[in-house]
Amino acid sequence: MSDVRTGGVPGGSPTAQLPTEAEAEPRAARPGARDMARRFLTMREGSIIVVMLLAALYFTVKTDRFFTHANFVTLLPYFAPFAILAAGEVMLMVAAEIDLSIGSVFLFAPFIFYELNQAGFPLIPCLLLALLASAVVGVINGVFTAVIGVSSFITTLGMLLGLAGLTLIISHAQPVAMPGAEVTTHTVNVERVVNGQTVVLPEKVNEIGTFAKIFGGGTYSQLIWALIIVVGVQVVLTRTRWGIYTIAVGGNKLAAAEAGINVRMTVIRNFIMCSVFAGFVGILEAVRTSSATPDTAGASETMFRAVSAAVIGGTLLIGGQGTAIGALIGALFLGILRDGLTLEGVNADYLDFILGLAILGAMVINVYIGRVRRGSGRA
Amino acid sequence: MPEQRVAQPAQDDVLRVENISKRFGPVTALRDVNLRLRKGEVLGLLGDNGAGKSTLIKIISGFQKPDSGRVIVKGEETELRSVDHARSLGIDCVYQDLALVNDLSVYHNLFLKREKRYPGLPFLANRAMRREARQALDQIGVNVPRLDVPVAKLSGGQRQAIAVARTVNSDADIILLDEPLAAMGAKEGAMILDLVARLRAEGRVSIIMIAHNYVHVLQSCDRVNLIQDGEITFDKPTGDTSVEELNEIVVEEYRRARLAAVGPNGGA
Repeated sequence: MSDVRTGGVPGGSPTAQLPTEAEAEPRAARPGARDMARRFLTMREGSIIVVMLLAALYFTVKTDRFFTHANFVTLLPYFAPFAILAAGEVMLMVAAEIDLSIGSVFLFAPFIFYELNQAGFPLIPCLLLALLASAVVGVINGVFTAVIGVSSFITTLGMLLGLAGLTLIISHAQPVAMPGAEVTTHTVNVERVVNGQTVVLPEKVNEIGTFAKIFGGGTYSQLIWALIIVVGVQVVLTRTRWGIYTIAVGGNKLAAAEAGINVRMTVIRNFIMCSVFAGFVGILEAVRTSSATPDTAGASETMFRAVSAAVIGGTLLIGGQGTAIGALIGALFLGILRDGLTLEGVNADYLDFILGLAILGAMVINVYIGRVRRGSGRA
Repeated sequence: MPEQRVAQPAQDDVLRVENISKRFGPVTALRDVNLRLRKGEVLGLLGDNGAGKSTLIKIISGFQKPDSGRVIVKGEETELRSVDHARSLGIDCVYQDLALVNDLSVYHNLFLKREKRYPGLPFLANRAMRREARQALDQIGVNVPRLDVPVAKLSGGQRQAIAVARTVNSDADIILLDEPLAAMGAKEGAMILDLVARLRAEGRVSIIMIAHNYVHVLQSCDRVNLIQDGEITFDKPTGDTSVEELNEIVVEEYRRARLAAVGPNGGA
């Protein structure tokens, strides 16, 4: 039955649409509901949005606790950091490269931050210098890939291992308390109305500093950063020379070089950006959890989650096509799965198993919807 | 100047190639080749695979340097140092598949490396580019329904037309078309020939078109040169020749080659 449905749409819509397209360019003149639906699915992000909403709907129906404000807050760290990591990865993947080292940069940056702080630097310079160190990692990745010609998979795999090792050396394999994330407790007097009478009661309040509130500690800090960065990357990708040249390099390197685009600089730039985002997320996470942990085993998982979010969101591994918004939705989808399954009370031993199956299942739906998309988008 | 011994009116030639030779090791690719391209002219370059067409085109587009001989661009003798240098002199070659980025839209391809931006901002003025792209394509009669789709979704003919349009648009006035009809259906090919005809009528650009099909050359070129075994052996206005004559020359060459291969004793 589903065969008939999916088979009918790609076959039917192009014929229905061709005359309109041939006649005139602006199609906005007649926005029917069907046209709206088609336009939505024509978006590269269309299919993952549908899949993500289906997952959210499933968990909303299955458990009462899913669609609550408290759970939304719980969900945030499940996806916001990965959305930022994935956004950087999207730019590189569009350029037909990949950065596996982000997992280690994510570990490494907070320790640079910590060491600089120990050396007496204030918080903001620590942040900037840690990001600069991350940028240097990006430069090294970029030079090895674009100038020397080692494939980015190998370059960044080496960097993933090497930098994780360096992080262990710097940290002596010990977690440290993240500077700037200290929690202070103080007592305030709060006015309450009890039985019609106003009474003043003392209450204990935990507070973190302004730095921590902005950089990861505040409830919505990571979400806001993720939205800013994802939208920023999307604008860069679609509305600037940087983005167009990245697509050109990833889509047809020879044509890009022929047109006079500096292919090497384009690749190096994107490596730098990806690395800086990874360092930034590392610091946000260290501030949020108020400790920097040299968890080298987790480095690859962090990286893989970010790469999966990008791919699930509609970015091709072969280059030329990608979307940061899609990566955000992809990260959100992975977060919803993890959070939803946990809420459902899935046995911890089964969690990854079910998660894996769920991702596969969702991707089958994604591919089907994508087929409809390409069918309707054909000119 | 030695130019005086050339009898033809040199002012009309936007491009002249004189006594160009090129060897690759033991292979002589070009031998004392002379070629002229007049302003606004469409010159058809015929020749078998390996005859030296590609080498000649690569020399003219600055990709390779000749061993000897001169290249005169718009009246000035020039040593073409690179593709960029040739391009700065208005010479541009449209290659079949190198030209376009399939993932970019039609208008982004047309404006690649010459993007328009909002004044003072780093953002692309997509609407302005789309409008200008539409005008540019209309001007040379290329009909592409939508400009915001990736060029991957267009047909081979439309892609080739856009590649040509981009070259015309980039202020090139000496355009080399390297087999623009290869791997193209009849309808698609007609579209490209139409485009060439329109450019010819306009007279703004001069074109060297490499082709295999005599009918196409006779139909859309002003003059035809035939290159055989590294030498230009035939140079006539298309009005003074015919498919039969061109065919006869090529068949004759085949006979001679066969004779040479078999040997004077008839292969005994």
